[in-house]
Amino acid sequence: MIKKLRYHLIDDQKKFIVFVAMFGLIVFNIIFFFIPLGYGIIGSFSNWNPLQNTMEFTGIDNYIAILQSSLFKISLKNTFVFSGSLIILRTGLGLVIAAGLYSLKRHDGILRSLYFLPVIMPIVAVSMVWEWVYHPRVGLLNMLLAAFGFAGKNWLMDKTLAMPAVIVMTAWKDIGYAVVIFMAALMNIPRNLYEAASIDGANQYKCFRHITIPMLKPTIIFIVITSLISYFQSFVQIFVMTEGGPGTATYVISYMIYNEAFENYRFGYASALSVILFIIILIITVIQLKVLSRGGES
Amino acid sequence: MKIDKIGAIILKVCLVIGGLIMFLPFFWLMLSTFKTSREITSVPTTFFPRGWTIENYVDIFKSFNIARYFLNSVFLATVKTAIGIYTSLLCGYVLAKFEFKGKKIIFSMILFTMMVPYLIMVIPLYQMINTVNLIDSYWAIILPTLYSSFGIFMMKQYMTSGIPNELIDAARIDGAREFTIFLKIAVPLSVNMISALSIFLFLWNWEDFLWPYLVLNTKDKMPLAVALNMFSGQNTVNYGGLFAAAAVTILPVLIIYLFFQKRFVEGVSMSGIK
Repeated sequence: MIKKLRYHLIDDQKKFIVFVAMFGLIVFNIIFFFIPLGYGIIGSFSNWNPLQNTMEFTGIDNYIAILQSSLFKISLKNTFVFSGSLIILRTGLGLVIAAGLYSLKRHDGILRSLYFLPVIMPIVAVSMVWEWVYHPRVGLLNMLLAAFGFAGKNWLMDKTLAMPAVIVMTAWKDIGYAVVIFMAALMNIPRNLYEAASIDGANQYKCFRHITIPMLKPTIIFIVITSLISYFQSFVQIFVMTEGGPGTATYVISYMIYNEAFENYRFGYASALSVILFIIILIITVIQLKVLSRGGES
Repeated sequence: MKIDKIGAIILKVCLVIGGLIMFLPFFWLMLSTFKTSREITSVPTTFFPRGWTIENYVDIFKSFNIARYFLNSVFLATVKTAIGIYTSLLCGYVLAKFEFKGKKIIFSMILFTMMVPYLIMVIPLYQMINTVNLIDSYWAIILPTLYSSFGIFMMKQYMTSGIPNELIDAARIDGAREFTIFLKIAVPLSVNMISALSIFLFLWNWEDFLWPYLVLNTKDKMPLAVALNMFSGQNTVNYGGLFAAAAVTILPVLIIYLFFQKRFVEGVSMSGIK
């Protein structure tokens, strides 16, 4: 009798803790995720201006205007250049550095920390520091170049150099994250795979190509996909360092969204841009997942 | 054999040079904070300060009121991190250890929220916050991060195997209440995960820029990251002050990282293993 009652009580308590946790979570997600998401999608089909307090349905006008806009085409191209280069740099260099650090006899904590340090630095401060690194007159980079006898450049004011400069800065900041994750994944590869391979006469390159890379595949996919999602939305470094300039040399979609929404107050237009960005990210993620996960089977 | 050895040395040298390049911009920043503004802007440029001075740091306390922004950031980041940790623990625990209707849907919902770009939410959220008159209030910054999908996901992954079911059942047989089991068993067993997640959340909250920049108008309420940007907009001459302010923004997270380095690296590693 008492036992039964106790089970009943436990059952009620279980229901209670589940209810408390999940009810809050669901209410939170409805208010701060699903309503804004729906609101944004509906808004993208409207002439939505918060200053005039208007939100009238205009069908796909915003989308048509965006697709006809030359600034959008430039931004799209720049976004692809930015994200594409960074995904390759972060994954490639991250893997090479991780493999290098891992192969050292003594796993050097200090060395790994040096690579990881930029990851934890706030992006606003880092962007400002790099603005000075690239400063044409008193910047660190030109100072180093001068020490080796090279002429300095006005990195962030040059149309062809500004984008690479922002990419290099972002790579500097983000590579450490990939290094740490790849190192963790490398440690999870069973040692005896390499031993077996070396008995069979495989050299280091062959081991890397045929054991390390396939074993790291899930990690590579993880880095590529998470990088893709974050780089397509990178904003702060552009906002602080170049404001999309010079001209439109570093104008990316995230900056265009910010500018249309909070400088021009075209909320509808900017929402349509963000919906397009979301769809692009979604499509590329699916394609990448398919391509990357197929590569290993062949 | 010999080639292998030479190769290993070359590799090590390359890695050390790479590591130094990674460290160089920060090292240069720190050195520059001890130069006078005049020295920073004079050509030819110097790498090490000619005469060391702490004038820049004194200056940002007096003229820029940096202590205020610093405390704003400490307050916001601490409160948001504490709440985020608690909700992640609770939801992660429930999702890991209880069976109930709709659990799969809720878990898919969490994964979905992690995949949708935040930019799509910024505009409608801004309008909503505006409608309920929370612009320029800390509620606008705290409320949207009460729950962290990333945190819940990490906690759930960890607790599923990290907390033995037998332990929970034994506590139930002893008559412990469910919330007591959560607080006295699940939470203490997740200490490593909690510290990893705390550092993550603290970092993100500390560097959070766009949202506070949009919703806060009053200067005195701004967190450090936003104030730093404002400071750089106002100042085209006071380079020394700017360098010092940037250093003050970076140093706290750096110090936290150095203290919790091992756990943090473990946490980062775990975030990549799914």
